[in-house]
Amino acid sequence: MSTPLLIVEKGSTQHRQTQILAVIYGLGIIILTPLILQPFEIGKMNRALVLSIAILGVNLVVGFNGMLALGHSAFMGLGAFVTASLIQDENWDYWHAIIPVLIVGFLIGLIVGLPALRVKGLYLALVTIAMAAVFPTLVNIEELGIAARTGGPNGKLVSEEVEAPGYLGWLPGVDGPRGGAAYRYWIIVVMVGVTLLLIRNYIRSRPGRAVIAIRDNEAGAAVYGVNLPMYKTVNFGISAALGTLAGLMWTLDKSFVAGQDFTFLLAIDFIIGLVIGGVGTLQGSLLGGLFVVWARDLTKRISVPLGFYELSGDGPLANAIFGLILILFTFFAPGGFVSLGRLISSKLIRVVPLRPDGDAIVSVDAMDPGPEANRAQTAMTMSVVGPVLMIIGWLLMNVNSLYVGIIAFVLRFQLLVLAPVALMVGLNELKAVAAGKRPDSAKGPATIAAALGAAGMAFVVVMFFVLFIQNY
Amino acid sequence: MSDVMLKVEDLNASYGAVSVLRGVSLQVPTGQVGVVLGANGAGKTTTLRAICNMCNTSGTVELDGEDILKTATAEIVRKGVGHVPQGRGTFPELSVMDNLLVGAYTRKDNEIRDDIGRWFEIFPRLEERRTQLAGSLSGGEQQMLAVARALMCRPKLLLLDEPSLGLAPLIIEDLFERFAALNKETGLTMLVVEQNANLALEMADYGYVIESGEITLEGPAEQLKNDPAVQEAYLGA
Amino acid sequence: MELLAAGSKWSSLPDFIFNGLSLGAIYAVVAVALVVIFKATTLINFAQGELAMLGAFFVYVLNIEQGLWLWLSIVLAMAITAGLGALVERTLTRPFDPADHLPVVLITLGLFLIINAVAGDIWNYQVRRVNDPFGKFPGWVPFWGGDRFIEVFDSRLRYQTIGIWITVIGMLVGLSMLLNKTRAGLAFRAVSSNTESARLVGVNTGRTLGFGWALASAMGTLGAALVAPTLGGVNPNMMATILIYGLAGAALGGLDSIGGAVLGGVLVGIIQSVVVSWLGVVVLEQHYMSILQLAAAFLVILIVLMFRPSGLFGTRKIERV
Repeated sequence: MSTPLLIVEKGSTQHRQTQILAVIYGLGIIILTPLILQPFEIGKMNRALVLSIAILGVNLVVGFNGMLALGHSAFMGLGAFVTASLIQDENWDYWHAIIPVLIVGFLIGLIVGLPALRVKGLYLALVTIAMAAVFPTLVNIEELGIAARTGGPNGKLVSEEVEAPGYLGWLPGVDGPRGGAAYRYWIIVVMVGVTLLLIRNYIRSRPGRAVIAIRDNEAGAAVYGVNLPMYKTVNFGISAALGTLAGLMWTLDKSFVAGQDFTFLLAIDFIIGLVIGGVGTLQGSLLGGLFVVWARDLTKRISVPLGFYELSGDGPLANAIFGLILILFTFFAPGGFVSLGRLISSKLIRVVPLRPDGDAIVSVDAMDPGPEANRAQTAMTMSVVGPVLMIIGWLLMNVNSLYVGIIAFVLRFQLLVLAPVALMVGLNELKAVAAGKRPDSAKGPATIAAALGAAGMAFVVVMFFVLFIQNY
Repeated sequence: MSDVMLKVEDLNASYGAVSVLRGVSLQVPTGQVGVVLGANGAGKTTTLRAICNMCNTSGTVELDGEDILKTATAEIVRKGVGHVPQGRGTFPELSVMDNLLVGAYTRKDNEIRDDIGRWFEIFPRLEERRTQLAGSLSGGEQQMLAVARALMCRPKLLLLDEPSLGLAPLIIEDLFERFAALNKETGLTMLVVEQNANLALEMADYGYVIESGEITLEGPAEQLKNDPAVQEAYLGA
Repeated sequence: MELLAAGSKWSSLPDFIFNGLSLGAIYAVVAVALVVIFKATTLINFAQGELAMLGAFFVYVLNIEQGLWLWLSIVLAMAITAGLGALVERTLTRPFDPADHLPVVLITLGLFLIINAVAGDIWNYQVRRVNDPFGKFPGWVPFWGGDRFIEVFDSRLRYQTIGIWITVIGMLVGLSMLLNKTRAGLAFRAVSSNTESARLVGVNTGRTLGFGWALASAMGTLGAALVAPTLGGVNPNMMATILIYGLAGAALGGLDSIGGAVLGGVLVGIIQSVVVSWLGVVVLEQHYMSILQLAAAFLVILIVLMFRPSGLFGTRKIERV
């Protein structure tokens, strides 16, 4: 498949449709999550979202600024303890704690970043790794009232319950057995959404562009008048503030904080999530958080009998599996999930950018593959294969095996992509036949593709509402 | 030893996706001095790097009749190519003496000290500074050191990459006189890449002009010197 | 405090100095190993400590489980980890451009996890007792034969401290000879100075980098074998904090200076033991100062970067931005 199945102009109706579809899918997943997952699974989802904010912080430095920050576990711990102390000892509430937590994170980030960011090379990595190693012991210091506020080696419990107020009872999942976890889920979702939006704007703003310019060519950026140490340090401060914000969300979610939760291993988890999600992309941070939490969950269930030796992921070897994944991704997929996703979608769809005057740089018609194209057949195949694979996936769900379970999961969800693609390509090809660009023989397959694609989409929509109504 | 020390035919070279040389052919007969003239970015340095297999290459590169296109750089040096890279490429943290010793890294005979003495005779400034770190030498001294270091592997062929770069005119003249003397006295084959066409053609037997990665003109040095195109582009006439 | 009860505050100072010196010697070994790799590649091997820990376990297996002579076990373990180090360099780091730090940092972090986890799976996380090469003075030593320490200024200078120092000095002399007097050492210095030019004089740069990794891994193993008895034995997490101290020592001395790394490591040991512990615990009677020992490593790195980014003896030009 050298040319993609769908070629659309940026901003055209079809392009809009694909974007709207992506947004609807996202909303659907967000709404169904607290309705159909078990409470402990919602807890995992919360943890994943919290980690993704910390990973986003690491990403700002590593992905967008090209420096190495390896110690965000310390920032996250700092935020978690400051929050816990403000709420438990000072009777603040979470919303008011956000401001001081962000300020503390930003300032500590400046203090740590300033010396290291003035010089080139691995120095920031050095400083941050030492910081991550030191942090868990610092919370045990008894003097200066530190241990009293952090709870020392015992950790600190926050007794305030996060309960949904009555007027928010309508939120999916909140009014039911999952209440507490689901409500925290909605708070975290909103916070993650707002944070992603703000960071996206920051990256696209003037300082954000300066930060990226520094990554791409430091000397070049300096020549264009970018104040390197200032932008780097402020960027690191923002990154640290994201770390402490993640800490606040951690306390909100778990109501318990302990120094052992914020060791160097957590910092490495951030790096793993960052790389596997996709360095230098915002979506990558989100995917990375989800990956770290769910993969940790899955590795626990891995167990390979080797005859003389049982290779089990439930124990020390879980970390070895993670280390191996990190090395494999660095070698074979350095762009992570995001670039893998882009690779796949580049086979399906190409968005043609526009010139400033509003015309496409190459006209979509010029890229039409001509009468020889067998897009209609391909689309028809997709429209048939999609539902068949989904049914197989549905049947495999009942097999009690971890690996089959993962395959079944993928098989069920491919329909979300294959059905709309088949539908859109089918409709396009029908138009092409009508315009005389394709032989009439393409009409049949195109019709089938469009019909089955539409049926698949209808099925997706019906499934959504069935699940929603059953559980709401 | 064959009559032709270096024979390059239809050589293409690229860095990643960027193609730099397209079908370059040249040869340097044994005992002669060849020169490649060209402007910045024409592909002069890449020509030398391609000969030493330091970028992606295709075509033919023969040293003394032996194909070295796919030979590893370090192995090419062992086969007798001394390469003085652009910007001299000395080891700044090593002493002058250590620089010369590492130049003889490929050799295991016991005449290394004799050779060092010999190059010290030709470049007496280096002997005065034998214990100094190379990074503390002046530009001209570093160039001498780089040449002496390349000669330490007793090359059959010496590649010189813009030896005049960044040096004062008087020093350049002195340096080129030494190169010419070296060629006359020892019969060492050289391929020099230069922008300073006057001096280079003075010393050379045969010359090539490279533009945008292709050889556009070639001929005996005397003839090139009088060629109007060369005069206009490189000799400022 | 036990030490306070033993005598006046001042008399215990030499105890802390001796302790700082023996810790410092270990940090110096780790720092030198880090610097050897940094000089050649401008990279930091974050798995260095774990490779050394693995080496200490090899010593444990060969000496305690297989009953080999302790020093032979140490030499064998050094040889095995040297091979592992070279293997890691060849297979995992060489494919990447050293100018791009991220991939190699990720690889070494991945190795950190793998080695630590595999060691934890094989030997679990309990501390396992090992033999001390410097428990008692050998019988042939006059005056102190069979003793564990010498009395100096009412303090105990342990045979362990002396032995560690003799071993570390011997290793450093050996390393210096290797780098300055041998062909391989010359090639290593050439590659560190200018990789491309090294290739142009016929040096096989890949093999030389492998040699550097092997050297660093062997040194790390020696350091881990020496430190294990002072920690009560070997366990998979034994090198985590020592690596941080080693990094601090290397940063203090200058990341590209072997002599600087030695001094930096010793200074960090002294700072940890004398400044933080002695001053804090004994003189100021503040318990929290001892917890600050580890934080001291972090503060040392920060202060060095603030005032002298190339360290005390670093020569490589630090590019300020």
